[in-house]
Amino acid sequence: MPEMTDFGYKPPSLRTWKGLSETFDLLRHRIASRLSPVFLDLVAVATLWMMASYMFSWLAWSELRYFLVPGWVYFIGVIEAVAIWESFGLSIGQKVSRTQLVGPGLARPTFRQRFVHYLLWHVSVLPIIGLAWRHPLHESVSGVASVSVIRGEERPAPWYQTSSGLLVFALMIVSLSAAFALTVRADTWTNFISNYGRAGKIIAALFQPNHSLWRNGIAALFETIYMALMATFFGVLLSVPLSFFAARNLTRNPVGRIFYTLIRGFLSITRSVQPIIWAIIFLVWVGPEIAPFAGFLALFVHSIADLTKLYAERLESIDNGPIEAITATGGSWISVLRYAVIPQIINPYISFTLYRWDINIRMATVLGLVGAGGIGQPLIRYLQGMRYKEAAIYIYLIAALVWGIDAMSSRLRRYFDEGRPIDTQTKKELDTERYVKSEMAGRAR
Amino acid sequence: MMRMIAPDLRRRVLGFLLDLGIVYYFIHGSMYLYLAVWGRKTLALYSYFKLQHDYAFFNPLKLVAWQWWLILAGTILLVILLRTFGRSLGQRATRFALQSVVGDRISLRQRVVRILLLPFSVVATPFQLLLPATRRQVATHGPLHDALSKTSVGLYIKPSDQPRRPIWKTQWGWVVLALLGITFFLGWVIIDAEPEALLSPSEETRRQISGFLRPDFTHLMTPEPALTQNTPEVEKQKISILNLMVITILMALIATILGAILAFPLSFLGARNMMSNSVGAMILYRFVRGFFNLFRSIEILIWVALFATWLGYGNAFTGVMALVIHTIAALGKLYSEQVEAIDPGPLEAIRAAGGSKLQIIRYAVIPQIIPSFLAFTLYRWDINVRMATIVSLVGGGGIGMLLFWYRHSRNFNELGAVILAIIIVVWTLDYISGRVRERIV
Repeated sequence: MPEMTDFGYKPPSLRTWKGLSETFDLLRHRIASRLSPVFLDLVAVATLWMMASYMFSWLAWSELRYFLVPGWVYFIGVIEAVAIWESFGLSIGQKVSRTQLVGPGLARPTFRQRFVHYLLWHVSVLPIIGLAWRHPLHESVSGVASVSVIRGEERPAPWYQTSSGLLVFALMIVSLSAAFALTVRADTWTNFISNYGRAGKIIAALFQPNHSLWRNGIAALFETIYMALMATFFGVLLSVPLSFFAARNLTRNPVGRIFYTLIRGFLSITRSVQPIIWAIIFLVWVGPEIAPFAGFLALFVHSIADLTKLYAERLESIDNGPIEAITATGGSWISVLRYAVIPQIINPYISFTLYRWDINIRMATVLGLVGAGGIGQPLIRYLQGMRYKEAAIYIYLIAALVWGIDAMSSRLRRYFDEGRPIDTQTKKELDTERYVKSEMAGRAR
Repeated sequence: MMRMIAPDLRRRVLGFLLDLGIVYYFIHGSMYLYLAVWGRKTLALYSYFKLQHDYAFFNPLKLVAWQWWLILAGTILLVILLRTFGRSLGQRATRFALQSVVGDRISLRQRVVRILLLPFSVVATPFQLLLPATRRQVATHGPLHDALSKTSVGLYIKPSDQPRRPIWKTQWGWVVLALLGITFFLGWVIIDAEPEALLSPSEETRRQISGFLRPDFTHLMTPEPALTQNTPEVEKQKISILNLMVITILMALIATILGAILAFPLSFLGARNMMSNSVGAMILYRFVRGFFNLFRSIEILIWVALFATWLGYGNAFTGVMALVIHTIAALGKLYSEQVEAIDPGPLEAIRAAGGSKLQIIRYAVIPQIIPSFLAFTLYRWDINVRMATIVSLVGGGGIGMLLFWYRHSRNFNELGAVILAIIIVVWTLDYISGRVRERIV
């Protein structure tokens, strides 16, 4: 940013559109870069307090209470704790953003300076707009400044001597104990000791599968594979064109930016809903009598969202050189696409597609558990009916399928990621040599 | 044995088997399509006119309607034709081609002779391979049908001056098109695709969509009474959206941390470059790798079903155990691949200075792998949160309890609230972990 040095800094003119947009970007950058450490501190302190109360109330009174104090006390307490931490110590936000408070001449701030900083923090940081000033109030009045720290050769202090290290440690301890306390029920340990026979029964059944079901199992397996295949196929058909509108570097104009924002937002929401929830939605929609179609739709929707994101990220990192070269020679956008863009993206696209196919197969095996077709449907029926010898067939088939597809797709992906294996050329030459030798030997005889 | 005697023959057989698989897939697939599509129609026609019909013939699940030997013979014949006239996909994949020993082009006579002599050649070649090396002509002149038709099948490198033919004028272009076409139609039939079902949503669908648009958050803090009937008093308060969401995140957290702690030492046993070459070490390495692969291949929900019978249904810890098992296997594999990819320089340096095995791991391996280990673990936490939201489908606990209950009871407004909560949590965690991973790596 231009404000790195005080000398020669000229704020952008407010009379032109360009100057206005630069000013806007500058203010946004100032606010974002100063607010993000504060935000991180707030989240850290708030989470620690909440988890501590949650665990304490559960262990002490078998009640689930989030704050232990009235909500407004919690709210103000968190904010005050962060203000104190940032003024008098080195907070986790400051540590992550690699900044530190220093007085004039890079001296350590005095207590008085820190106290003024703490008081004015409320005036300047809490109403976020105060951070837009070049020298925010709490820094200019107290005389301290938040500067970037470049770590030298000296060893950093061990985690147990820094406040942020201790906070992270406390957060982990509290969360872990809360997790144990909340997930373990009173009957868990008694079940653990007395019910192992039931698990043993399942494991015994795995070794005596009902062999009459192989045929049905394989038919269901093919249904699963084709569900994943079709979802990937249609997903690719839609994602490839969509990805060009979801790439930041190709949507610089205002209309493109609107498309970009809309598509990215929509896709990230779609991606957050798991295929199994999509399957529930589509099962109601198309009806349970065409269950595989509902499963296909679920995978299809999730594939579009995932593939478009992967493709667009790849498009964002392409090399601009070839594009400029072809544009400079007067090539149309089709030739730019054909000779500059596609050669750069084709292999990663294939690799991502294979990866997605792999995931789709895994997902398709479990979609049946909600009744959306595929091999999971008979499996859940047998599992719920406690017919483990029948279920064993399906468990074996799923394991074999997932294992096989995983091995195949990882091998193919390696091929597409790295191009041909390095030794192919030498292998080819060796083959030729051997072939010529044997030919010559044959002719000579 | 074949590897020693005739390396080319092995690749020829491989290419032939590939062609056989492709053609068999095509024939089998088209017969399935015939029975599933036209067979169904014919069946409807038959029953409309109340005619006698053989139901079994039109049953699409009975895949082979003709005699199996007829189909096999047809497949083999088609493969031979494809390989003799033109360059088949199998030949392309093995980089082989049919070439004439005399002259540039292969005449029709040569091709016919090849086809006619092939059966004799298949019988004779194994006997030829048994001959002593000095008289083993098969290695130099090729099998019988090659030698007598004056052709050879061998490595084909296209001259660089020869122009590339357009795809639609090549055999492999047609074959790939046919494979794609049959796969597409098979898929369309197998998944029961009915796009019109999407266009005419039922009354319930409308209810569902309007429910999702108006989510009902009454049970955000207060427990859902329908699910608390057989629950002990203490556990009842957990069954609200907020509490179950926190429990879901904690389930994922504990599963990830436990899984990472257990996978960390195992990953060194599963890394090729950390194990010595002794037999015992190799057995251990294979065992650990096999464990990773096998346990990763079994889906989390199956693990949940297994643990649910043991630890109890609707128990969050059941889900945790299943997640832990799967996390160990998945993280173990990722970790050990990372260990295998490290720079061996520091390793050699410490070994040369007389460092012990533990010192090598501590000072040469761990500093190199810490960032990627952290990134993988965060990524896994992300996946675990997603999985933890649905493990209750088979008795694993967490927010899925409400999700599947409202779905079961068709309570769409409250289902919308649960789905919204899941979206918010998953999206936020995905965003945060993505940002942190960007920073670490």
